[in-house]
Amino acid sequence: MAACGYLQLADQLREGAPVYFNRYAQGYWIFSRHDAVRDIYKNPELFSSESITPWEPDPAYRFIPTQLDAPEHLKYRRIVNPWFSPARVDAVAGMVHDVCRKYVQDVAPRGRCDFVTTFALQYPTEVFLTMIGADPEKTDSFVAWVEDFFKGFGGDPDGVEPMLAALASIRGYWEGAVADRRGDPEPREGDLASHLIHSAVDDRPLTDTEILDMLVVLTLAGLDTTRGTLGYIFWHLAQHPDHRRRLIDEPELIPYFVEECTRYYTIIFGDGRKVAHDAEFHGASLKKGEMVYGLVAGANRDPRYWERAGEFVLDRKKNNHFGFASGPHRCLGMHLARRELAVGVEEWLKVIPDFRVDTDQPLMERGGGSMTTLLELPLAWEVAS
Amino acid sequence: MRLSVDADACTGHGRCYRVASALLTFDDEGYVSVRGQAIDVPDHLRDAAEEAAGTCPELAISLLDD
Repeated sequence: MAACGYLQLADQLREGAPVYFNRYAQGYWIFSRHDAVRDIYKNPELFSSESITPWEPDPAYRFIPTQLDAPEHLKYRRIVNPWFSPARVDAVAGMVHDVCRKYVQDVAPRGRCDFVTTFALQYPTEVFLTMIGADPEKTDSFVAWVEDFFKGFGGDPDGVEPMLAALASIRGYWEGAVADRRGDPEPREGDLASHLIHSAVDDRPLTDTEILDMLVVLTLAGLDTTRGTLGYIFWHLAQHPDHRRRLIDEPELIPYFVEECTRYYTIIFGDGRKVAHDAEFHGASLKKGEMVYGLVAGANRDPRYWERAGEFVLDRKKNNHFGFASGPHRCLGMHLARRELAVGVEEWLKVIPDFRVDTDQPLMERGGGSMTTLLELPLAWEVAS
Repeated sequence: MRLSVDADACTGHGRCYRVASALLTFDDEGYVSVRGQAIDVPDHLRDAAEEAAGTCPELAISLLDD
């Protein structure tokens, strides 16, 4: 689809009706407006995370902790929360800047690049691997695996085989890491895999299956999302020299700008939940076992809730969007993600204050089943000789 | 003004203590440190408190005028 096509679709659905029943697959409810999406997130007792994929009510896989409900969910979540807490992100801030600068300095003299493949994929991947004590030398491997996984995840039949191979490679990497650390008497400092081996739930150690599930889901969830949002951020900046100038002059606005990008260019088209018991909900009679799909991209741009909903307001205040979801399953990596996005803008603009989109062709995005993301973003800038 | 944080609603987005860092901070897991409590808001931080309440995706923050 052409870039921002999914956002336009979300806007159309939201303005067309508050609720739909989509007959695709087994059929599922779509709630398109802010009030219903908020209430889905606010009621995890009614809306279970047992499945979060609306066209797959009984998935063969179970991601931990993503697909667990209370009280189990919080037991696992508490094990990983401190690894992605604001305090931990503050502690690694220097590393985030260093890694980012390295990629910016590498690309700057070239005068042009595909932003997605030379920056948006590598920089957050290397930061993430370093932060959890994995091997940063594996950045390029993880980039390729995560790419292959999400290409297939969208439903392209040709993509299924590479997707499964990529999943096996990611799992294989973590199996090796866990085996390597298994015999350690103490957890290794700053090493998430080692920490999980030494963690307990209900007074028993985590099983290998649980550890691998957690590491795989963190890898997949943590790497594709930052890449998606970085793409839209820099596409926006390439088209808005006034916004670039303002962020250079007032860098304290960068966090506000990042939040507005996360709202305006929402990369979560929708979020699925499974109905736990019969209920009346925003005009629909839901039956136990049915699936619902809250249109997050619709909610984040709903004029019934937001002032200037369809407008990009760089320093928007009270921007309580659902770009990182909401409720008990809110994005675990949100504090790291925000830091990566803000540092990415800051360090890039310091070295490359002016740049433009370097193609006459329309940019394309993928989305649907996975996060919305630009496939390519060719950028160009003047290089001082 | 008093500011209170609903302990069940807060999931640790961290928006409040970033936009109102003079008033609020975080605990080890990233929740606001005054989760489940009510605090007094000094007059000069009323705007910050209002921004914090308005920026919470969980609507976990309530403000009460004296």
